[in-house]
Amino acid sequence: MNLGSLSSTSLLIAFIIYNVSFLVFVLALAGKRWSGRDPEAHQRRWGKAGFALAVIGFAAQLVYFFTRWAEGGHIPTSNMYEFMTFLSMMVICAFLIVYLIYRTPVLGMFAMPVGIIIVAYASVFPSEVQPLIPALQSYWLKIHVTTAATGEAFFAVGFAGGLMYLLRTVDYQSDAAAARKERRGVECTLFVIVTLIAFVSAVFGFNAAGYKAQFAQQTLVTDKSGAQQQVTQKVDYVLPPIFAPNGAETVQMTPFLGMSKPLFEAPSWMEGANAGRKLNTVVWSLLGGVVLYGVLRLIARKPLGAAISPLLQGMDPDDLDEIGYRAIAIGYPIFTLGALIFAMIWAQEAWGRFWGWDPKEVWALITWLFYAAFLHLRLSRGWLGKRSAWLSVIGFLIVMFTLVGVNLVIAGLHSYAGV
Amino acid sequence: MITNTKCECGHQNPVGTVLCESCGKPIEDDGSAATLEMRYDGVARRSQKQNPTWLDRIWNFFSSVKIAVWLIIITLLGAALGTIYPQETTFLNLDPAVYYKQTYGTLGDIYYRLGLSRTYSSWWFIALLFMIGTSLVICSLDRVLPLYRALSKQQLRKHHSFLLRQRVAFDGVVPEQQDEASWLGGMAQTLRKRGYRIHVGEDGGAMLAEKHRFSRWGPYINHIGLIIFLLGVLMRSIPGWSMDQYVGFVEGQPTRIPNTDYWLLNEKFSVDFYKQDEMTPEFGARDRIVPKLYATDAVLYRCTADCAGPQPKLSEVHRQRIEVNKPLDYKGLKAYQFDYRETPMILSLKPSLKNRQTGEVYGSFELSMTKPADTYRVGPYTLKVKGFYPDFGLDDKGLPMTKSNDPKAPAFIFQVTGPGLPAGGAPYLYFARQIDKAQFHEQEINGALGQQFDISVGSMQDVKIASYTSYLNIRVDTAMPYIWTGAAISMIGLIMGFYWQHRRIWLRIDGRRLAIGAHTNKNWYGLRADLAGALGKNGIAVAPKSLETRGNRA
Ligand code: HEM
Repeated sequence: MNLGSLSSTSLLIAFIIYNVSFLVFVLALAGKRWSGRDPEAHQRRWGKAGFALAVIGFAAQLVYFFTRWAEGGHIPTSNMYEFMTFLSMMVICAFLIVYLIYRTPVLGMFAMPVGIIIVAYASVFPSEVQPLIPALQSYWLKIHVTTAATGEAFFAVGFAGGLMYLLRTVDYQSDAAAARKERRGVECTLFVIVTLIAFVSAVFGFNAAGYKAQFAQQTLVTDKSGAQQQVTQKVDYVLPPIFAPNGAETVQMTPFLGMSKPLFEAPSWMEGANAGRKLNTVVWSLLGGVVLYGVLRLIARKPLGAAISPLLQGMDPDDLDEIGYRAIAIGYPIFTLGALIFAMIWAQEAWGRFWGWDPKEVWALITWLFYAAFLHLRLSRGWLGKRSAWLSVIGFLIVMFTLVGVNLVIAGLHSYAGV
Repeated sequence: MITNTKCECGHQNPVGTVLCESCGKPIEDDGSAATLEMRYDGVARRSQKQNPTWLDRIWNFFSSVKIAVWLIIITLLGAALGTIYPQETTFLNLDPAVYYKQTYGTLGDIYYRLGLSRTYSSWWFIALLFMIGTSLVICSLDRVLPLYRALSKQQLRKHHSFLLRQRVAFDGVVPEQQDEASWLGGMAQTLRKRGYRIHVGEDGGAMLAEKHRFSRWGPYINHIGLIIFLLGVLMRSIPGWSMDQYVGFVEGQPTRIPNTDYWLLNEKFSVDFYKQDEMTPEFGARDRIVPKLYATDAVLYRCTADCAGPQPKLSEVHRQRIEVNKPLDYKGLKAYQFDYRETPMILSLKPSLKNRQTGEVYGSFELSMTKPADTYRVGPYTLKVKGFYPDFGLDDKGLPMTKSNDPKAPAFIFQVTGPGLPAGGAPYLYFARQIDKAQFHEQEINGALGQQFDISVGSMQDVKIASYTSYLNIRVDTAMPYIWTGAAISMIGLIMGFYWQHRRIWLRIDGRRLAIGAHTNKNWYGLRADLAGALGKNGIAVAPKSLETRGNRA
């Protein structure tokens, strides 16, 4: 077995073990009420098993990481696939650390899925090892990317903590306006998660089925000497084209459900061939999210939040509040160091400016300011409990927007290739 | 309004105090059992003065955390607005007034007109940063001194309503068969082992165990770092403190860095691509060309005399290979590899003057394509440069002209004097490039002289060619050390504040009654564990969770 396949196999093994670990954590909570059991002992035993599995999965992912490093000759954080996989690894790592402090299985039930979804999301991107272009050949870049991801991983655990708190405390009985609003908020958050899952599944499904569509678009490119040139750009679609790039010609398209040509064309203000593909991706994700959410809703016969929240009864909300906050408190200095200070050092080395208001940079700043506001509100204005939980959920959505949305919607210097 | 701020313990507190500075009893003790607000230990802050003057009002505005959070949120939203469309600074030479409308339609036009295409240099954005800076200074001053006072003169024996209204508290009795003093000693011992510093009161009935007080200074150190950072950013606008320009350097030709006394020579530019065997087979199959290295071998000179003249005196000061991520660095002057262009051009030639009939070589001379000398002596002949066309062409009237200043197709008109030529000499049109010689029929144009003489290079060794122009980003940023210092201080403060917590446990014995209150700024879980562990070791078994006075709120 060569390094490359050893590495990808380890990742697959890690992914499977993570899923098992997640299920064990769920059973640790759901099984408490099985008859003939001491709930405390059950939870402790199953919680330990879930934790042990998470550790094994993490070890497998470390094998992936180091073998890929050996294969590529550089630390695997240099494209979207590698970055996302790394992020998921750090989410698991952050979870393990926070778990060691608080030892509550319920954290596993919420933090593991975050890690799992990020691994799955990573595999949507092209996974081959790419040689490093000169701009990426800097050890500061590696330090920057790894520490920033570690900080974000703790925010992810904070997000899990916040969501736990909300599901524990939101009132699913009351008819009061405030309770209804909170329930809607929780459902929206769960919908976002479901949408991500739907998106990843769609890409996997169509990839596995060998789906392919290709478009050619004429674009005007300005070259170095300032001359403009017509260039034909080819764009590959992994998902069936609901939206084709604006003004593009279909080169090839596998029919899908009787759809043999694109349904619509991207509006003309969406410049470039990739804009059409990105729009298509967004529309597919939303559609997939709606369908998957609908199915889950039909199975549960009630809001998803209402289905999950009984598992959390019996947890002390104050503890959940502290777990979420603590994760963020651990992550904040790491994030500051990685996403801002190391980023500035690297930017200074690479471009001669420590700050350039590139969209990725700005969004890192926005994330940082948001969590600063969170900390001030908590410390000085006593925003504990629900408000704090909402803020940790929103904070992580901002993190994800920085990682995913900015690539999808806005493109700057930092962007890696997308789907 | 006069409020009575004298506590029953006899201590006179400043106006604005919430908890007596001495015994901790709430100033307005309403007899409730609710958890006390321990922010800044309940001391009065400067901003809580009565009858504020206008200066006080400004102070109060900026010292409010509520305002600070608003400032942070507004800055955050403003920054987000700036990422909707690319900023103007992303483009080197475009007319923004046209660009936004053309590319993004009406919305783009509105964006441009609102000034959002220059968000980060707009007055309101800078004003926001400025206000955050002010707020940081004032807010820290407002709190750090009172907090320092409160922490440095803590009285040990606290009031019962202070102890029992802490979030973590214990109300019980000293275990039987133990006298109070030895029990207290045991407790002190245990907590000391856990890293607490123990202060025992003179009368023996009270104790304070305290740990990691320094972490309370973390946020302030962080804020000081941020202030220094922001000042550093401001300093960049001091004239002369920052420079940022892009300069092209042709190989083999020292070029002046504008507005400085430095010249930089690009000795050689190299670009290198990954070979097939350096890629994984999977990626190699994609047939993509991936650059591996851009490098400029640079020599930096300082001009010592004649800097404005044609022949400045240069002395070498620094020599370095510049790569992406490895800029040249000489006393704060930095040069970053930015771009390159393939610009094949002749720099200089060493042609020989020959007799076409006899083949006799009179000699050769060094001819620069950018700065030719006035005259050249070759054997018995003198060649005076009468005309120089770096980029030779003919205008509409058929007269020679130059299309640009780059030596793309250099041509010279020499006035040749010497043996066998008329006294005033005869003109000779010389093309440097073989291809131009043929295209413009050099030999025919020169007529009789062309029959007699030939000026040409013998071999490639006599030709100096530059194949690349390397574009470097030249920068000076004198404020950087301040910026890095600020960032480092800030980081130290964050680590202090987040990875250590200030824990305090107050303990008081009256008769057999034991009252304990404990407080931390974060991590209640750890504090409860500490206290429950210590009590357990000393004969009082309690579950950590039961020390929490707040109970389940939901
Ligand atoms: C971008 C700007 C700022 C950042 C990144 C920042 C960061 C922080 C951090 C990390 C803490 C510690 C929080 C904790 O321990 O949970 C803190 C505390 C604090 N900040 Fe800021 N801050 C900023 C601006 C401000 C401003 C403008 C004010 C002015 C009102 C302010 C007032 C405070 C106060 C009063 C504390 C509490 C200090 C204590 O624990 O005694 N901060 N800040």
